[in-house]
Amino acid sequence: MSRALRGAGPARWRLAAGLGVLLAGGLAAPSAEAEDAPPVVALVHARVYIPGDNPPLEDATVVLAGGKVQAVGSAVVVPPNARTVDARGKVVTAGFIDADTTVGVVEIDLEPASNDTRTRSTMTPGMRMVDAYNPRSVVIPITRAGGVTSVVVAPDQGVLGGQSAFVDLAGDSADQAVVRGSLAQYAHVDDETVQSSSGTRGGLWLVLREALQDARFYATHRAAYDANGVRSLSLRRGDLEALLPVVRGEQPLVIRAERASDIETALHLASDMALKIVLEGASEAWLLAEEIARRKVPVIIDPLEDLPSRFDRLHARSDNAALLSRAGVRVVLSTFAAHQARLLWQRAGNAVRLGMDHDAAIRAVTEAPADAFGLKGYGRLEKGAVGNVVVWSGDPLETSTRVEHVFVRGLEESLETRQTLLLQRYRTLPFSHDGSR
Amino acid sequence: MVALPMRRLSLLLLPAVAAATLAGCLQIGGTPPASAPPAASSVPSDPFAADEMRARAPIDPAVTAHGPAVLVRHATVMTATGKRYSPGFVLMQNGALAAVGEGDGPAPAAGTVVVDAQGRFVTPGIIDPHSHMGVYPVPDTEGHDDGNELTDPVTAGLRAEHSFWPQDPALERAVAGGVTTIGVLPGSGNLIGGRGVVLHLVPQRGARAMRFPGAPEIVKMACGENPKRVYREMKRAPTTRMGNLRAVREAFLHAQKYARDWDDWTKKQRNPDADKPAGDKKPGDKKHDPADDKAPDRDLGLETLALVMRGDILVEWHCYQADDMLAALEIADEFGFKVRAFHHALEAYKIRDVLAEKGVAVATWDDWWGFKMEAYDGIPENLALVTEAGVRAVVHSDSPIAIQVLNQSAAKALAAGRAAGVKLEDDDALRWLTANPAWVLGIDDQVGTLEPGKRADVVVWSENPLSVYARAELVYIDGALVFDREHPGAPWSDFELGIRAMPARPEAR
Repeated sequence: MSRALRGAGPARWRLAAGLGVLLAGGLAAPSAEAEDAPPVVALVHARVYIPGDNPPLEDATVVLAGGKVQAVGSAVVVPPNARTVDARGKVVTAGFIDADTTVGVVEIDLEPASNDTRTRSTMTPGMRMVDAYNPRSVVIPITRAGGVTSVVVAPDQGVLGGQSAFVDLAGDSADQAVVRGSLAQYAHVDDETVQSSSGTRGGLWLVLREALQDARFYATHRAAYDANGVRSLSLRRGDLEALLPVVRGEQPLVIRAERASDIETALHLASDMALKIVLEGASEAWLLAEEIARRKVPVIIDPLEDLPSRFDRLHARSDNAALLSRAGVRVVLSTFAAHQARLLWQRAGNAVRLGMDHDAAIRAVTEAPADAFGLKGYGRLEKGAVGNVVVWSGDPLETSTRVEHVFVRGLEESLETRQTLLLQRYRTLPFSHDGSR
Repeated sequence: MVALPMRRLSLLLLPAVAAATLAGCLQIGGTPPASAPPAASSVPSDPFAADEMRARAPIDPAVTAHGPAVLVRHATVMTATGKRYSPGFVLMQNGALAAVGEGDGPAPAAGTVVVDAQGRFVTPGIIDPHSHMGVYPVPDTEGHDDGNELTDPVTAGLRAEHSFWPQDPALERAVAGGVTTIGVLPGSGNLIGGRGVVLHLVPQRGARAMRFPGAPEIVKMACGENPKRVYREMKRAPTTRMGNLRAVREAFLHAQKYARDWDDWTKKQRNPDADKPAGDKKPGDKKHDPADDKAPDRDLGLETLALVMRGDILVEWHCYQADDMLAALEIADEFGFKVRAFHHALEAYKIRDVLAEKGVAVATWDDWWGFKMEAYDGIPENLALVTEAGVRAVVHSDSPIAIQVLNQSAAKALAAGRAAGVKLEDDDALRWLTANPAWVLGIDDQVGTLEPGKRADVVVWSENPLSVYARAELVYIDGALVFDREHPGAPWSDFELGIRAMPARPEAR
């Protein structure tokens, strides 16, 4: 059984607290009595992807200790107490980060009781995905076995849909898994949201601007608000509070926009209100590549979404990621999925097939999401980073490659999943429930 | 995050499947379609469909006139027959494969186009037996929401072909993924959704001109969650799995009577006095005129089901769970027909022994799961396990996105199978994409492998198509070049004129 399935004790997580990992506002830090510290592990003779534009190191060593990356390099001395993993011919990367998923908040899409992504209201900025995160979701070990060690759990609908969480894919409680309980706010201005809310773009933007302006007003009138001394506002108190870091320009507002003109409006909104924004979806972003690069706005893209599937993405094209990347835009690749977030490697592989540089595609699922959301210690294999590391049997983006080892905060996770248990049960027929024959 | 935009969800939930070309050929095995049924006497041999078959002869002028002969050489040729030639060649002539083999091939005759495919890979065109392109086209519009006739759970008389919009921009993108033939199916909102149609992916003004010549009829059926979900919302039957089963059995019971009525009438027409004892005949009796016997009324739905029971229409049955598939096979046994393939079939691995024994194929994704209760037990080793058991396995898409990277789906399923210890060759994965779907659609004598005499549906890939980096560079259908990555032309779809820019295609990696 994997630790996640069987339930490992909390000891392993003491270290997480010691790492200085930012814990979600309001979430308690794990208790910190400690003994069995994560063991020291040395991955040796590997091809290692390191940060920046540098080519991967060959025949290099990565040492994990105390839950962190202790050393990365070609001339690293392996500590005598280290467990050594011979990674000759294999590839080591930072754990992949999927920047927009519903992992942990949905088990089965069409079973409402198991799906916490469907909100009935279209204006819920105060909603926190962290409140729905289930660390025992069977989706988590499956995602992790695909080389994804952290995900952003984000609202996927609503004019202002709520706050995402950033989690490491391990741990038996939300407290243990959650790195940031309130990572970013989400606005959706795509065709789907126009149709499910105001019915027109003009109506949607009116509601969105009014909400942000009310939050700005509230920021300077909180005492009066509590004394019932202000004009009526379009949002409730919890929603206004949630928007404070957004209107102060401290927390990113992720805007899902597809049509180029909608992206333009989003860029105007950002400058008018001094917001820090991230674009996602962005099918037609390639038409504005220079402008988006100039404004240093990160863009989260699924490179397989190349169809003119709605009227707001008639100019979608398969090399969107490549064109943006070449124009200097910080491109982040994502699955926008739950069950298939494990296939993030395939998204990156397709970005390469469709013209993106190979190493840039790897950065687009490691460094780029960490940088887009200011997640220090994530997405980079360098001294002091969080010990989220994956050993791949070969090129991480290739179909024939298998994930061989996954470390989260320095601890190796089992690759066993509910799916491997099904395989085991039915590997030979007739099957037997207990595996005996 | 839009894991599943509603539009895509509707496809997932209501995967329809049926691709039937009413091409007018009711024989399984791909005999070229006759323009009229073989009528030996005044009595139609197929009383159900004679007029219809005549009406469905092509009316569009042939647009795919065969181009010059094409010799592709210096490539690695993967034939999907177990043979692989490296270097190898493929010679296309008059729409067919004239020669395939090792080495440089014959000296090209004058006028032959020679393609130097050094470092490239050549395969048969990919065949996707489960597509809703054209019936659920992009962009998603109410005006083209034509895939599910959700007014009755049994709509066996429908044809997906009659919903097909040939201007769907997704069609051209599928060709760019190396796909040459698709089975277009109605959705899975109904238990018996109607007939599908098998199409060649060539730009035409209507489905009738795209029909794959000689493809047999196919019908789309559906088990499980989708029909009961749709009709529960309408507060009418079926709302349960047992309701599903009853409705299907009743439909076939009606079809049995319908077939009997037509058989009786046909017999009478051939031998008008057969039912009269000889002693009853008296001199002077007026001779019985067969024209006086009123033919039974035709019923399009019952006709489809009667032809299913006669073995003239292939059954493509959408089912996910093992128990649903076993129940479906019980109905097939009760009414004496065969299931050609279970589609989706995420739990096929649990009953692969039964499927192998029954000769039922499995058309499925490589690793989709979890989007509904009946999809919870999907595992990435499904294709490999059923293949190991001797079942014909097929990678299908059910999606205009997934259809563009079906080669990757096969490659992923191959890797998953090998990791589980299943012995598989690259050629097995190729057969999931070509030879096996050709069998599922009943066109395996014409396409699916690279063998002399077959239709020249051929793809030249930038590298091994089992790599994530592989791009289809040249795609031929009936020997005619329909896609050339280096030389993009105007969009196929009229819809995209004035919308889609005509920029250079993505640069090579």
